[in-house]
Amino acid sequence: MARVKLEHVTKRYEDVTAVDDMNLDIRDGEFVCLVGPSGCGKSTTMETIAGLTLPTEGEVYIGDREVTRLPPKDRGIAMVFQNIALFPHMNVKDNISFGLRLRKYDSEEIDRRVQRASDIVQLEGMLERMPDEMSGGQRQRVAIARAIVRNPDVFLMDEPLANLDAKLRVHMRTELQRLHKELETTIIYVTHDQAEAMTMSDRIAVIDSGELQQIDPPLVCYNEPANLFVAGFIGSPSMNFTPGRVTDGGFTSESYDIEFDPASLGLSPGDSVTLGVRPEDVYPAEQRASVSDPSMTIEARTDVIEPMGDEIFVYVVTTDEMEMDFEAAEAGQLLMSVSPDSTIDVDQDIEVVLDRSKVHLFDDETGQAICHGLSPNAQTGTTTETETEAGDDD
Amino acid sequence: MSTQSDGPLSRWADRSMKNPGQVYRAMFYVAAFFFIVTTLFPFYWLVVLALTPNQEILNGFAAPVPEGFNVAAFAQVFEQVPFHLYMFNSFVLATSTTIIVLLIASLAGYVFGRLEFPGRGVLMLAILAISYFPPAAFVVPLFDIFTGGSPVVVPFSELVFGSPVNLFTPPRLVNTPGAMILPFSALFLPLSIFVLTTFYGQIPDGLEDAARVEGTTRIGALFRVIIPLSAPGVATAGVLTFISVYNEYFFSQIMALGNQPQQWSPLVGGILSYQTQYTTSFNLFAAASIIGVLPVAILVVVAQERIVSGLTAGALKE
Amino acid sequence: MSADTVSEGRREGGRTSAFSGVVRWVENLGETAFAYLLLTPVFVLLGAIAFYPLLRTLELSMYSDPYVDPQFIGLDNYVALFEGNLNGFLPGTTTFLPDSLSFADVLRSSLMVTLVFTVVTVLFETLIGLGQALVLDQEFRGRRWVRVAIIIPWAVPIVIQGMIFLLMFHPQIGFATPFLADLGIITGQNTLNDPWSSLFIVMLADIWKTSAFMALLILAGLQSIDRSLYDVAKVSGASKWQQFKLITFPLVLPTIGVAILFRTVAAMRVYGIIDTTSKCEIVPSLSCMVVANLGLNTGVAAVIAFVTAIIIAAVVSVIIYQQYREGF
Repeated sequence: MARVKLEHVTKRYEDVTAVDDMNLDIRDGEFVCLVGPSGCGKSTTMETIAGLTLPTEGEVYIGDREVTRLPPKDRGIAMVFQNIALFPHMNVKDNISFGLRLRKYDSEEIDRRVQRASDIVQLEGMLERMPDEMSGGQRQRVAIARAIVRNPDVFLMDEPLANLDAKLRVHMRTELQRLHKELETTIIYVTHDQAEAMTMSDRIAVIDSGELQQIDPPLVCYNEPANLFVAGFIGSPSMNFTPGRVTDGGFTSESYDIEFDPASLGLSPGDSVTLGVRPEDVYPAEQRASVSDPSMTIEARTDVIEPMGDEIFVYVVTTDEMEMDFEAAEAGQLLMSVSPDSTIDVDQDIEVVLDRSKVHLFDDETGQAICHGLSPNAQTGTTTETETEAGDDD
Repeated sequence: MSTQSDGPLSRWADRSMKNPGQVYRAMFYVAAFFFIVTTLFPFYWLVVLALTPNQEILNGFAAPVPEGFNVAAFAQVFEQVPFHLYMFNSFVLATSTTIIVLLIASLAGYVFGRLEFPGRGVLMLAILAISYFPPAAFVVPLFDIFTGGSPVVVPFSELVFGSPVNLFTPPRLVNTPGAMILPFSALFLPLSIFVLTTFYGQIPDGLEDAARVEGTTRIGALFRVIIPLSAPGVATAGVLTFISVYNEYFFSQIMALGNQPQQWSPLVGGILSYQTQYTTSFNLFAAASIIGVLPVAILVVVAQERIVSGLTAGALKE
Repeated sequence: MSADTVSEGRREGGRTSAFSGVVRWVENLGETAFAYLLLTPVFVLLGAIAFYPLLRTLELSMYSDPYVDPQFIGLDNYVALFEGNLNGFLPGTTTFLPDSLSFADVLRSSLMVTLVFTVVTVLFETLIGLGQALVLDQEFRGRRWVRVAIIIPWAVPIVIQGMIFLLMFHPQIGFATPFLADLGIITGQNTLNDPWSSLFIVMLADIWKTSAFMALLILAGLQSIDRSLYDVAKVSGASKWQQFKLITFPLVLPTIGVAILFRTVAAMRVYGIIDTTSKCEIVPSLSCMVVANLGLNTGVAAVIAFVTAIIIAAVVSVIIYQQYREGF
């Protein structure tokens, strides 16, 4: 077990900067997901931790040691790969014991450890099989056994579930969590699937364009995204964004206004900001009573309806001009999540309200969050500490 | 179908008109038969000559069939000249060249197949270009140096500095394996590099990364994971190199100054010494040729898939 | 768990420190440096056995008497070679350029013999190779053995190939000589000392051995053709011949082109088959002339070797350009 620390790690290739001044401090025994869109630099970040790629600048620490220029084999790490990467010319036992054999452990010790590792991942009776005789899930277990057999200080997992089918993926998620509880080893896990990151990790590190955007526990990332990127990336479906401006009395846009006191947030009229609100914080106006801090009513029309079973996604258009270009239409659209027993139809006029306590404001210039939840209007003093459900999706 | 059949030939012709597929079928069999006969007949002729006592050969054949069954010729081959020693030389030369080529080409194949670095394309083209040049373009200075006494001179140093800059004078290499293994290795290295580049390039990156995380160095991963997984490719490169060296003529004949097995003269010398010493022992020529061709013939039968894939991969390098 | 890490560390230290120092140094090299390090043996070998001799050959070709009394004479050797002043160094009555375009003079010219040999063998090897490839492209029982039969000549050592054709065409015992002599193609007497007969036999030997190589290259091209194209053609009612003319041939043509270039450079190095079947003074190929002067008249050997290299380099540059354009 060890903590992992990146200090100012930068990786430049000839024409691109894959990782840009990355600082990460991962605590001993923590399960951290590096999450971001493909090409964001999360895999390169992991490769610098593994030693498969040497950083152009900066230092990597594992435990108390600086390992920046140490080859992968001397870093006390183990890794599980996206394509599983079992050696096809070795049987399960030889795959699992590969690292031990390289380190010249005696055969009794190897047998003992292989036995224990294969027990943990439930591979009893398969040690003599070849990888091509196994199912995808079994192969993934072998890969995990190969990783845990050496008792590494840190597990690195690079999209290990990406090649599994959806059902198996969900199953393996729980197994990995169980494994983490059992081994208490630091796990660094790369994924592009924010749902995977949300469900498994102690903290999520959101990465975009080679830069760390935010590292926080999943619900913090969900409820208090540091900037527009995190707000848009975490949560499915995505947060609604409405570009607009600050006025004397709050926020205005092409389609609706939200009242608040700009001065209390250090904003002055004319500042351009983006308002963000998650689909579950948009309500039909008739449910106003159950909303902790409802906004003014917004006139809209329903567009597309997607019943999901446990909820219904309703796309509403808040502007009335029909001849708008696509981008403007996008900006004037709100996605609302309603309960499955609602009877909403397409092309209906509808009134919606936002939960002001769940509204986010972002500075357009920097993309940084200005506030999460607007302070309640003077008339009522309801609490803003309502629990929000984490997006439970696909 | 014609109802009034007047002979099998016209019946066949009639059917063919209606069913051109049959004509193509027939053409195919004729062509296949023709190719098999033309490629194999010369071997048959060797067998005929080897089995026929030499006196009968000199008397002339009535038809190309063996006149007698003189298996003794195959034993005589080893009695007249030490043919086994020539064969042994050929095996030693071919085996050691193959090992050297596989080793060097493995490193190069790993580099070209798996690494991205500036100069990769240019270097591959340069190696490709080298492989096309004839041995005759290299042999003149090599022969001088290998015969001993001639120093390795920096090219054009005399023109530039006024007097030749001699680097060092290598020992006399002719009549030793070195004088052949060195040019053979250089000659047949490019093909193996291209074959192995193709094979090593196909191993997924994850496997190499996994090996390195598990505890190997980069070179360790090459030998423990990439090469074992590319065994068919390595076998292909090995078989092609072995056959090429075994069959080589130019350096084999030049770098052994005489046709004596003690001068490391390989198969080439063995066969040629029949031609020069026993000018009319035609049955022995044939028997020696059959013995000499057997090892490669067996290799072809056993490894034909490898040879086909290797030749096409190496020649039509995409 | 930390105990395991310690033990791993101790295991590492078991090797000599100098060795592990080198390993560590290699392991930490950047990708480019690592690549060049691993290529060092290739550079050394090809540098010493190919690049150096090529440059040195060029240098030697510019000296008179390179060893005894070396005098730099620039391109004089080349001029002398093309003006025929070096013909005295060539075996027999061989010339470099032909004195005239008469049949006899062409057959005495080392350059022309090499070119004739190249053109004729490559042409027939391509045609026969295409035929063999078309046969091998079919699915039939025993295909594996037909393929072995077709490949086997390729695997025959040159010296044995020479022996085989010597035995087939030996004027005393060869069954083929009287047969072809009756047809007037070769002479019946002293066959292997007759320039045309010998060249004919040598070309025949090369075609026999190397057609298989062409066949394999063309076969690879044939098998890369999308089979569904033939289904499309069949549906639109194309006959077999039309399928060949409209689909197979155009699609395999680029492969044939590459194969022809490839064979051309290989054919121009012809030596061994001449040396075993006939003699260099009867069939004077360029490589023959280099060998004939090897160690005797180094300047002459060098100038012929380099001229050969230049001719081949011209063809090679076409190949390289082709490869380069296809994005090597």
